[in-house]
Formats: sequence, C-alpha cells, structure tokens
Amino acid sequence: MYPSAPRQTRVAGRILPLTDSTTSLAMNNVTVLNPVRKQLPAIFFTLTLVAALTAILFFLVWEIGLAHGSIVYLIPVVIAATRWGIVPALVAAVCGVFASAYFFYPPAYSFRVKDPQEVIDLILFIFVAVAVSQLANRLKRQLEMARQREIDLRDLYAFSRRLAVAFDVSDIHAAIEDHLASIMQRNVVLFASAREASDSSGRRAGMTVPERVLTEVVEVASGRHDAVGGAIVTAESGEIWLVRAVSPKSLEFGVIAINLGHESKERSDELRIRVDAVLADATATLERLGVAHAISEARMRSQTDQLREALIGSVSHELRTPLASILGAATVLSAAPALRQEKKLTALVHDVRDEAERLNNDIQNLLDATRISSDGIKPHVEWADPGDIINSAVERCRHGLADRRIVIDVPPDLPLIHVDPILIQQALVQIFDNAVKYSESGSQIKVAVRTQDGRLNINVTDNGAGLTTTEAAKIWDRFARGERHAATTSGSGLGLWIASAFIGANDGKVSATSEGPGLGTTLSIELPVSQDALPQLESGADE
Amino acid sequence: MSEPAPIVLVVDDEIQIRRFLRTGFELNGFVVHEAGTGAEAIRTATLRPIDLAIVDLGLPDMDGADVVERIRSWSSVPIIVLSVRSTEAQKVHLLELGADDYVVKPFGMAELLARVRVALRRQMRAVSGEPTVKAGPLTIDLAARAVLLNDKRLTLTPKEYRLLQVLAQHAGNVVTHQHLLKEVWGSIHVHDTHYLRIFVRKLRQKIEPHPDTPKILVTELGVGYRLVQSGAEGEAGAWSESTQAKSES
Repeated sequence: MYPSAPRQTRVAGRILPLTDSTTSLAMNNVTVLNPVRKQLPAIFFTLTLVAALTAILFFLVWEIGLAHGSIVYLIPVVIAATRWGIVPALVAAVCGVFASAYFFYPPAYSFRVKDPQEVIDLILFIFVAVAVSQLANRLKRQLEMARQREIDLRDLYAFSRRLAVAFDVSDIHAAIEDHLASIMQRNVVLFASAREASDSSGRRAGMTVPERVLTEVVEVASGRHDAVGGAIVTAESGEIWLVRAVSPKSLEFGVIAINLGHESKERSDELRIRVDAVLADATATLERLGVAHAISEARMRSQTDQLREALIGSVSHELRTPLASILGAATVLSAAPALRQEKKLTALVHDVRDEAERLNNDIQNLLDATRISSDGIKPHVEWADPGDIINSAVERCRHGLADRRIVIDVPPDLPLIHVDPILIQQALVQIFDNAVKYSESGSQIKVAVRTQDGRLNINVTDNGAGLTTTEAAKIWDRFARGERHAATTSGSGLGLWIASAFIGANDGKVSATSEGPGLGTTLSIELPVSQDALPQLESGADE
Repeated sequence: MSEPAPIVLVVDDEIQIRRFLRTGFELNGFVVHEAGTGAEAIRTATLRPIDLAIVDLGLPDMDGADVVERIRSWSSVPIIVLSVRSTEAQKVHLLELGADDYVVKPFGMAELLARVRVALRRQMRAVSGEPTVKAGPLTIDLAARAVLLNDKRLTLTPKEYRLLQVLAQHAGNVVTHQHLLKEVWGSIHVHDTHYLRIFVRKLRQKIEPHPDTPKILVTELGVGYRLVQSGAEGEAGAWSESTQAKSES
C-alpha cells in the first residue's frame, strides 16, 4: 500500500517505464486506493457545478419553457470524470439525477417520479461517468508514462553523454552515482572499492555516511560479505541504509549505500524490493552502455599515465643524480687551493663543470618536451609582478649571460598579471639562451616591457645573427634549427618550442621579428592583462 | 678560526654526493658527519651535537620530508633540503614542514655554502637574541621597531613594517607567501597573493636603491620572498664562484 507520502508515489512513477510487473501493479494501487479524503475538494467542486447548472436550467425552464433538461447533467458528469476521476463523476451522476427528479420531472419538487425515463437517465449517467473516467484515467496514465519515459530517456541520454566524456574511473563512478540518485530519488553514495570506503572518513558529496554503513560497504566491496540482495544497516542515528553491490554479477561497478531514512521494517523491505528492480534495470543499462569496458579502459589509461610519469621521474632522477655528483665535485675541485695554481687543470675542471651544466639543461629540455607532448602543462596561476619574473629569469641565466651587457627596461607601476610565473620565467630563460647562442660575446641584450591595449609585451632584443623571413616564421617550431648556423651552434631545437608552449599555456603569444640577417632579433612574449579580474584590497589592508 | 668549527650532518644515500660534500665542507672549515639513511640521520641528529643538517629528499628507507619533520619535532637546528626535481609546491611544503632552505640538484658548492652560512648566521642570531638585522644599506631594529636606510629613519605603514619584520626574523631564508600572508593579514588572506605583490612593491620603493632590480627584498618565484643579508656571499646564485651579471637600468 502506498498512502499519502508524495515522494513514494513519485518513486513508483519513476520505476513504471522500466517495465516491471510489480511496479505497474503498484501504479494501479495508487490510483484506486487514493483516499476519499484527498478527493473532497473535487467532490465539492462537482456539487457546486451541479448546483450552478440546476440554477441555470431552472431559470431556462421557467423563462423559455424548456421541456426538461436532464440530459444537460451529463456535462458535470463528463467534466468530473475527465478532471477528477470516477468518484466525483459518480457523485455528479447521482446528484444530477436527483436534481432533475426534484426540479424538472413531474411532480415537481418531489423525488418521486412516474416516468421510467428517470431510471434510464440514472443508468446512462452512471455508465457515462464510469466510461469517461476510465478513458480519461487511461489517457492520463499514458500521458504520464510518456512524460516519464521522456524524462528517463533524457536522464539516460545525459548519463551516456557523461560516460562518453568521462576521462577516468572516478568520473564514471560519479555518473553512476548521480544516475542512481536521480532514479531512486534518494541519497545514494557509491564506493568504487573497499579501499575507497575504508580511506574515506565517511564524508562524501556533502553528506556523512555513518561508521556502521562504511564497515558494511567495506565487507561487501571486498567480496567477504555476499550482499546481492542488499544488507540493511541501521545507523547510529536510527537511519536505515541499504548496502549492496551495484551489479550482482561483478563488483566492478562498485558498491552503493542508499539512505532510506527513518522507515519501518516492512517499509524498508518494500523499498529494498524496489531498489532491486531499479538496480537490475540500471545494471542492464550500464552493461548496454559498455560501462564495464569504459571503466577498465579508463583504468588502463590512468595506468599508462602513471607509467609515463614514473618514467619521466626516474629518467630525471637517474640522469641527474650522477650529474649532481659530477657538477658538485667539479665545483669543489675548482675552488680547491691545491688546484688554484695549476692553470691548465683549473681550465679542465671548468670544462667539466660547464659541460655538466649543459647536459643538465638538455635533460631539463627533454623533460619539458615530454611534459608538453603528453599535454601535461597545468599552469599554477597566481597574481605575479612581471618585474619579479624578469629579474628571476635574468638571475637564473646569470652564468650564461655573464659576458653580455643586459639592459632591463621595466617601467614602474606595471600591472600585475595572472599567470604561472614559473612557466613564464622558464620561457624567458629559453629566450635568453637563444639570444646568447646567436650573438657575439660582449654584445647587448635588452629586455623591455610595454603594456598596450590590455596586453603586456616582453621584448628580448639582441644584436646577433638576426633572422631571414623564413627563419622568423619557423623559429618557434619543434626541432627548428637555423640552417645558416647548423655547423657552428649546437642545440636540439627544442628551446624556443618549449618557450612558446609555456607561453601558450598561459594564454599568451610569442613572436619573432628581425631587421634581417646580421641585424639582431627581437623575440616577444605577449600576455593578457586582466585588471578587471584583479581582486581589490579590502579596506584596512594597510592598517 | 677562533670559534669552534661548525658541525654539519650530511644525509644522502649517494656516496659520491656525500664525498664531494664532505670535501667541500672540510675545505671550508666544517666538521662533517654522514648518514646514508633516514634512520641513521635521525639517530645521529639525536646522539651527536650538530649545527646544521643537509637532507636529501630521496632516501632509501624513508621520505626526506619525514626526516625533516622528525628532526624538527625536537630540534631547531637549521635544515637545508636537497632535491633532484621539485615543483614550487613541493618547496613550499618542505619549508612549511620546518626546512630552512632548499637547494635543487645539481648545485654548486658555492651556492650551498652561501645558504649554509645564512642559516648558521640566523641560528646564531636567534640564540644570542640579536635585535638588529642588517641587509645592505638597510638596518631593521626589531627591538625598537625602527627601520633605517643609510642611517636615516624610514616611515613605514604598520603593514609594511610587519611584512619587513617577518622577513627580518627569517633574514636570509625564504619565507613562503602563505606564511607572510598569514602573519601580516591573517589566515583568511593566505591565498591573496596580490596583497603581497602590491605591498612588496610599495616596500621596495622605500627600501631598495633600485626598486626595479631589487637586491634586498628578493622574490623566490612561486615560493615566497627572501631578505638578502649583507655579506651573504654571491647571493647564492649559480654554481660558478666569480660570475657577476650586473644589470643596468
């Protein structure tokens, strides 16, 4: 039985299109056994309608001399049947017959009737009331079903779309969780694995899962506790939770805990049956959509990612650890008093140091290139001072820039920029390296910052080899190496490509200009300045 | 040396690294203890008096960060962390755990020595309770709450002074954005980095001879700020000892 709680009727309604015999039965029960109390307003309206009609008819008979209008009482019968169902329709039928008997059939103002017409009217009215209300009821139910089917289809469509764009296992599980919650109209928490349940402190998606429920989830998820039908857990607070595997066949889809609220034993058993029906259907849907496949694929993908990360990490570590020893030892040697007098040996030690340093930069470039190719640059944006970024880039290159004259032209009161300062700094370091590589020792390298039209430009100008038009067009490409310099300068051709990728990750642009070969080069970084987005200082920030 | 030689504990699992660090430190008048594992490091730090610890992050038996945390739980000895590859977030995390400074491998001996001297000097000041901090032409008298530039007293707003005070208390070491924001503006502003940017700019206008190329209040990009003390050799730049690249403006 499903009395007044509207929430349950809705749950029943939602299950209906999922074609289950027990559920359509439930739907019938809901309509037939609707308590008469709920129909009182409808009956009242029906009576008013009959009374109003009687008044109009009475007036018409009196004025125009209409013979009698008992047939007109079909109007309230049909209205009541279509709008409010069978009970008000029957009320309208009986009242209509009595009203016409009392007012219009001779003898007037008496319920006694001579004419058998009266009996026929009553039978006709009752027949119409029943037929029309049944028809209307069926129509209404079909309409409801169609609407429900549409909602379910939309849910399902949204669900499958979420699955399609789901990138990893947790996305898929979140989609399943929401899908079940929307079907069940209950708080549903899905745990992907026993570990997830035991790791979580019980707080999930803004609600707290009680300790006892968590324990049960762990039991079920680890396969120790067979809970195909679901286990009922009464939490410390008295709430009843249902814990079961999403799919009876595999634990792949996870384990759900559903909050059934404060319900009696019988009611929660009923709900549990309904949950079974929904889950059977949901799992069928999940299987149809190939969720199991998607989950394992996502697992694989994240494993590949992890493998690559591990590889990058270990290459970085394995190559740099010996380098750290080489470089460290070389710096100790070059400062050692015993070696100071030996000019030739000192020069050799410096070579070791410089080459180790170069190797280190090459490894860093390779690592950066791997990061970019695997689409892994995630800028950590913060409000940064452009001057700070430029100064620290110059500082980082101090050794390389040693014999160049560095001119920094940074106007005061530059706007703050919302970028990842480390990425911008690394891009600048690459650009400085490039400038050093293609210019004479002792020449000038100028760094100038300008703001214009909501953009901030950092221009690095050298007096070096310059660019031809084709070189300028290709300079930011991967493995781009100037053919004119291939014989004289070493390099991988990765540096400026890395710089442009880092700037791109910050919504910036890079460009290269040159007056021509031998006339120097300007490499420019253009970054957005969004002063509107800069949060204001609170008043009193300076007190 | 009139003072006793400072004792440094070197924690690294690579024997080659320990060897060059030992030679480098000994050439500069330090006494060196070595540890190849985290457990050994903690044992040595407990049993023997040390003035400073150099801790590598990648240890075979435990995370270097745990070693830092364990040592810091009972000792205020300066700790400098070595790491092969670290993101700025990792650096911030290490500093919050109690490391005084970090050096990214590969590094030069000169750079490490500069950091070590800064850390030792700060420790000495903390022990002696020295109330003034000098950074180039700038003198910060923490007891009198006075800031002097070339012996002329500066007028700072309360927040500017507070910012400088926190930096001076950690003079020579990096102070993270979060720490500064919390100390100066309170916990609710720990993510408002733009506060720092704006106030550091104002402060630099008052204390730096060339605010565009600051030499006293320097930025550690993505991590925090450092008050560079006078006499801190080389300002801990690259691994070369004598290179200098002065910028003109």
